[in-house]
Amino acid sequence: MSAERTSPRFERVIGTVLRTGVALSSTCLMAGLLLSLATGGGAPAAFLLNAGIIILLATPVTRVIVSTVEYVIERDWGFATLTFIVLLELVASAVAALVFNRKL
Amino acid sequence: MPAVTATLALIIFTAGTIAGGLGALLGLGGGVFLVPLLNLVLGFPFSAAAAISLTTVIATSSTVSAGRAGKQLINMKLGMLLEVATAAGSFLGGVTAQFVSQSLLQRLFGVVAVIVALIMLSRLRHRNVILDPAADSGVLGGRYHEHESGCTVTYRVKRLPLAVAASFVAGNVSSLLGIGGGIIKVPVLNAWCGIPLRAAAATSAFMIGVTATAGAIIYYGHGQLEPALAAAAVLGVQLGSWGGMKFGAAASTKWLKILMAAVLFIVSAMMFMRGGR
Repeated sequence: MSAERTSPRFERVIGTVLRTGVALSSTCLMAGLLLSLATGGGAPAAFLLNAGIIILLATPVTRVIVSTVEYVIERDWGFATLTFIVLLELVASAVAALVFNRKL
Repeated sequence: MPAVTATLALIIFTAGTIAGGLGALLGLGGGVFLVPLLNLVLGFPFSAAAAISLTTVIATSSTVSAGRAGKQLINMKLGMLLEVATAAGSFLGGVTAQFVSQSLLQRLFGVVAVIVALIMLSRLRHRNVILDPAADSGVLGGRYHEHESGCTVTYRVKRLPLAVAASFVAGNVSSLLGIGGGIIKVPVLNAWCGIPLRAAAATSAFMIGVTATAGAIIYYGHGQLEPALAAAAVLGVQLGSWGGMKFGAAASTKWLKILMAAVLFIVSAMMFMRGGR
């Protein structure tokens, strides 16, 4: 593992990922909520709301993927492995969600 | 769960604004206030309250960390290492939550609310810094510029296994109860692992997004997350924490902390009464 601290450039990339994710998801959630209240539900409102939630959930996941790629590029294999394990744990949550959805 | 109406959306938006504002003022995520509001006051099932709260935790973590990224205050390497433990804890908590009863979760929340209140009342304020800019911070340590003192703060991470264990427990509690879990990690990182309070809080807030996501995915996939209500809560919390950070800097938080600790004791008692039935 390299003793180098996280570079300011890498920190800014992560900041951009997080900021973009929140902005996109908040926009979808607000549009979906207003549309759902105005029309009493319906497919377009449900689509926007679910898109907002999925983008919100995908934001930290994307941040972990970007970090893994960055550490691979830096050849920092220790941290590449750690971030990849975090990614696998998030995938495990998604798999668990699918299993519960089927069974119950 | 109640049907989604404009009134309910407005109530949840307001509850989110209050929880987000209090959270920002107290340096918490706000989930510890939002979950009891949804569960005890509005009568949502505990799992639905936890699911909504976790989505607000993700939004807060992403917003706060986006603003701090590039300033070296977040210790990203330490955060990413500890995320291995919080995400594992959170995954297990999210799975466990599907099998345990609501009354057990309420009693557990009652215990955690008391712990949060006690931590809030007796917050340790060690500095744990090496004021030598040339000092070696080690692989996981950090270095950042502190505006208040004008100094470069360098620190080393001590007792890493303890930090890992605290992160696992925080992750577990987070997805079981729908709170961020920073209140468990930050005091441990600060008091025992040598990390300055501001770096500990920033690093914890950074990790919480991943922690809450591991839990929220399970609730969402299981159909326990109502997207319209989550939307109202997320937007409310965003507004509240923005307001809290904008206007909170000048406010004295001492009396607010005492008041909120009292609120948490009441929340705890109510959770025990509901959970005991």
